[in-house]
Amino acid sequence: MTTLFATQPETAELPFYQPQGDEATLFEHAYRHQLPLLIKGPTGCGKTRFINHMAARLGRPVYTVACHDDLTAADLVGRHLISDKGTYWSDGPLTRAVREGAICYLDEVVEARKDTTVVLHPLTDDRRILPIERTGETLHAPPEFMLVVSYNPGYQNLLKGMKPSTRQRFVGLQFDFPEPDLECRILTGETGIDEARARKLITLANALRALKDHDLEEAASTRLLVYTATLILGGYDPLEACRAAMVEPLSDDCETTSALMEVVQAHWAK
Amino acid sequence: MEEQVGKIWHNIITRMANSRHPEAAVHLEQVKQTTGILFRALGGDSGLQIESAGTTRHGARRSWLQRLAGTNQQTELAWRDERSLRLPTVVDCFPTPELNRDLYLWLTALATGDSGTEQEWFQKNQQLTAQTLAIYPGLQPRYERLVAAHLKQRTHSDDLPPKEAAQEEAIRNALLNPGSEDHLPLAKHQPQPVPLWLHPAPPLASARITPSIEDEQNNSSKGKSKELEEQHRRQAEQVTKPEQDRGLVAIRMENILSWGEFAKVDRGTEENEELDQAADIAKEMEQFSVTRDGKSTAGRLRFDLDLPAAENDDQILNAGILLPEWDYKSQQLQPDHCRLLPMLATKAEACKLPDHLRKTAKRLRAQFQALAPARTWRRGMPDGSEVDLDAYLRFTTDRAAGHIASADGLYRDLQPGARDLACLLLADLSLSTDTWINDQMRVIDVIRDSLFLFSESLSATRDSFAMYGFSSRRRDPVRFHQLKTFDETYNPQIRGRISAIKPGYYTRMGAAIRHASEILKEQPAGRRLLLLLTDGKPNDLDKYEGRYGIEDTRHAINEAHHLGLQPFCVTVDNKANDYLPHLFGAGGFVVIRRPSELPKRLPLLYARLTRS
Ligand SMILES: Nc1ncnc2c1ncn2[C@@H]1O[C@H](COP(=O)(O)OP(=O)(O)OP(=O)(O)O)[C@@H](O)[C@H]1O
Ligand SMILES: [Mg+2]
Repeated sequence: MTTLFATQPETAELPFYQPQGDEATLFEHAYRHQLPLLIKGPTGCGKTRFINHMAARLGRPVYTVACHDDLTAADLVGRHLISDKGTYWSDGPLTRAVREGAICYLDEVVEARKDTTVVLHPLTDDRRILPIERTGETLHAPPEFMLVVSYNPGYQNLLKGMKPSTRQRFVGLQFDFPEPDLECRILTGETGIDEARARKLITLANALRALKDHDLEEAASTRLLVYTATLILGGYDPLEACRAAMVEPLSDDCETTSALMEVVQAHWAK
Repeated sequence: MEEQVGKIWHNIITRMANSRHPEAAVHLEQVKQTTGILFRALGGDSGLQIESAGTTRHGARRSWLQRLAGTNQQTELAWRDERSLRLPTVVDCFPTPELNRDLYLWLTALATGDSGTEQEWFQKNQQLTAQTLAIYPGLQPRYERLVAAHLKQRTHSDDLPPKEAAQEEAIRNALLNPGSEDHLPLAKHQPQPVPLWLHPAPPLASARITPSIEDEQNNSSKGKSKELEEQHRRQAEQVTKPEQDRGLVAIRMENILSWGEFAKVDRGTEENEELDQAADIAKEMEQFSVTRDGKSTAGRLRFDLDLPAAENDDQILNAGILLPEWDYKSQQLQPDHCRLLPMLATKAEACKLPDHLRKTAKRLRAQFQALAPARTWRRGMPDGSEVDLDAYLRFTTDRAAGHIASADGLYRDLQPGARDLACLLLADLSLSTDTWINDQMRVIDVIRDSLFLFSESLSATRDSFAMYGFSSRRRDPVRFHQLKTFDETYNPQIRGRISAIKPGYYTRMGAAIRHASEILKEQPAGRRLLLLLTDGKPNDLDKYEGRYGIEDTRHAINEAHHLGLQPFCVTVDNKANDYLPHLFGAGGFVVIRRPSELPKRLPLLYARLTRS
């Protein structure tokens, strides 16, 4: 079934987000002009964080749906359910977001089958409507409603991808791992690690990132860096922290992981 | 007299220290992946390959005993050039495998800092060392261990004539305090080699000491003869991967062996005979290289082959298609650079599936019927295996609300989903496919069987597919054999064409991929898979080899991506890890280690790739 979180606006506490460029401005513009947004980027580079941050900034709730290939249109729109009094209609996350004028975030949207994502079409052009076939209702999205989808255009999605007719309904935003200075601020901001060690970790991460496509399918993410820094701060041996949080999650191949450890060791003087 | 004995004694000690440690030897093959990853992670160019450097004769003063024994005159050097990082084939200079392995890693790290500037060997290596240690402080302990172990092996300056002694002192100092020595004192002999340092590429004897003619020849043919030795050492060791060394030279050698006078060499047995033959070939190659241009001929040994007479050849379908080619040096696409000839084996006789594939084909067909097309639940069916709860609920709510509700379509059923998919398979039919992989089969036979089983499986899925083969002879012609178009159905005639494929010429992959992409892009399917089946890297008689060929192929692959196609490569080349990631990305190819398994694995791979 659908993974669903409704994050309520917490104006008191804005989730920490370190902007990489102009993305917050673009988000705001898209929001004001009711344009749906497509965010592309590798795993763990801050997409989810960005959306939660922006939602809090704009004071809107977020409905997050983690897409998968069994996701049906009914999982998004809603379905009839049975109770002791009979059957009743239950809104899906998309419908709820439209009704409430919230932000609906479909994570890893390419995982969803293409016939599922077509329900987004009337919502994502200038009609901004959501026809609910089962109840005969047609919802008109309020100006506060915003649809955001994300995916990771990596090789594991070799044969997946969005239909051009779906893709071309969105304003696009490409995320990547941040520049070292920014990533350093993220690391120190997230974990409280000192700058010297943060920089070291980032240099190492960038060395490992150079291996993407050639030796590794995925690059070491900011998320993994945060994990590593957290372990080190907690007093765990730095080399072992790198192994646990940066090397092992990247590959299952023993030869590759031992080679990655050589890279770690070259960077990290005992 | 006393002094004389002392000298001899010392030499014995030295020789012991200098002697190799075969029991602790580490082979490049063992550390290739690690060094490759380290090299790229530390900023090395991912287009470069890690290759074996071969041995170079060093002109250094040998100790008396060594001279007597004729040992220690060869040393393995490491250097970096335009297309590869060369590392020694074997490192056995230290008594423990750990140290020998450390040396590989150290040299690799050192090479990443080498920007290729022309600089004196002595200064350059000191500077590189200092720089490497500064950037990667974690390497310091490793470096110190290596220096300590190496210094023990060097003939001490006390035992050398004054000039050589001064030289030796400078080197020792440079190793201990990199950057501290600004010039290497002159001496009559070349200094003892420093395995911890990179050699200026490619190794030529230092300009100050003119090498003998013999040395020069030795240098130029070294890489090659060494590769042969290599190949044979491996065969003699009965390594289970007989096709390990399949660089250009190895492939050519295979062909020499499988042609004419060296025909029918039974690989893996009769090793002595084989070694003799290898030696002969090596000698011949040496002559070849020397007469050719007197320089290094790495990868030069190739044969021009005549095209068959038209009446014996496949029918040419049209005047040819002009295709561009990418020149990475100028970063430009050269328009109309290649001429591709679509060809068809019109004379091939229709035939049945070969008997030895029957059983496998049957099994695959059954698997494919069940497995390949993603089965989906169809909702709202008038009949089906389960009640469609959603439809039923709707039906009951509608009726309860007083609406007229129709009761058809309350079931769901599991049905084979239509697959919106087209696949073009492009098979490499170059000469290298003439290589024998065991007593019964050549690569081409494996490719043929693969094409058969692939077609058998895919026709069971109703997926739309086409098959072509290619080989080339320079940029004109690139022979493009039509085996099955998208419009044709798989039938005995197509089987005839598959059965008629034979090893052709060279491998101009870029042009073939470009044309295949053109064909595939016309297919209306939502997913379009371009499957490349090959046994080696791009190469042709002209400059289409090494980096040029690889970069053109890479460019063609990128074009295919841009057209919305999904290229994927299946190869039986064990060396493919060196260059395929650069072409296809880490998830864009697969290496079939045992070529004989290709026919069975290809269809399954297709199933996995296209699973939704
Ligand atoms: N710009 C940033 N500001 C603050 N924290 C960040 C930033 N980028 C990444 N992070 C950190 O990285 C972690 C992972 O980010 P997030 O969960 O947003 O990744 P994602 O892009 O959504 O990944 P996935 O595709 O795997 O869902 C966050 O929890 C946060 O700690
Ligand atoms: Mg996320």
